Amino acid sequence: MISTLTQTTPWTDVFSTSAGAIYQCDEERCWYVDFAGKVAKFDYRCLLKLRKAVYHIDIEQVLLTTTKAPDVEIIFICACDHCYVLSLVQIIALKELLEGTFVMLELNHILHDRLGRVVI
Amino acid sequence: MKDLLRIKSLISTEIEALLNQQVKKEAYSSSVYLSMASWCNRNGYDFSSDYFFKQAEEERLHQLKFYKYILDMGGNSISPEITGIKQEYNSFREVFEEALDQEISVTNSIKNIYARCMKEQDFITMEFLNWFLKEQREEEYKARRALELFEVIGEEGTGRWQIDKHVGEIKYNGEA
Repeated sequence: MISTLTQTTPWTDVFSTSAGAIYQCDEERCWYVDFAGKVAKFDYRCLLKLRKAVYHIDIEQVLLTTTKAPDVEIIFICACDHCYVLSLVQIIALKELLEGTFVMLELNHILHDRLGRVVI
Repeated sequence: MKDLLRIKSLISTEIEALLNQQVKKEAYSSSVYLSMASWCNRNGYDFSSDYFFKQAEEERLHQLKFYKYILDMGGNSISPEITGIKQEYNSFREVFEEALDQEISVTNSIKNIYARCMKEQDFITMEFLNWFLKEQREEEYKARRALELFEVIGEEGTGRWQIDKHVGEIKYNGEA
């Protein structure tokens, strides 16, 4: 997927699962989310909004609902160019991907914080 | 890999969420005090009404302090939705009992944020919170003192009228 894009700046693999991957681009200060057949660019605010939107979906509730409505969620983020229309299985996968990503970003933050504070 | 989260914001997402919760708490306090001011005014306790109007104003300032801090640190301040404000009280004393409860709950909530900051070693937010910790000393003192007046003056006869008069004079001159 990545190789098909014209990549001008290096991306770092933040976290990946069998369903997708998230990369960070230091130069553009953004993240690229490779999921559901597309690679979408997210800046800081939008990535946080995406996380909030995905975490807010009550998966258990959707599973228990007996209505005939299809298990499809539309993830639309205000002031962001991307929109996802996902099935429940995809939502679980995206949630897993985002959780892993934020753990990695947090870990990266801890490393920077601790190493940056070492007095030589 | 650059620490992009840190570049964008000085405070962590958890601290930001807690601070936003505090914004809501302060806004709620302000509304509660406003409701108390109304009740006191309606029932003839004008000095207490003025006291609660002042308290409402103070809580609003506290709310803005938190709100602006979040923004200054690169976070996202959320304008809170406030509902469920009690409008009626059973007695003059009950108003002050609830005012003290409200202050205790605010103190606890600030302590909770402070504890989280300590865990994360967020010394900057800790320093910011110091002002509020000191402020809570005064707030709790005033609320406790008002209740004390009910004990020392007593509600019999013109007691409530006396209490109301003295509530307007409560001041905290903490030297410590």
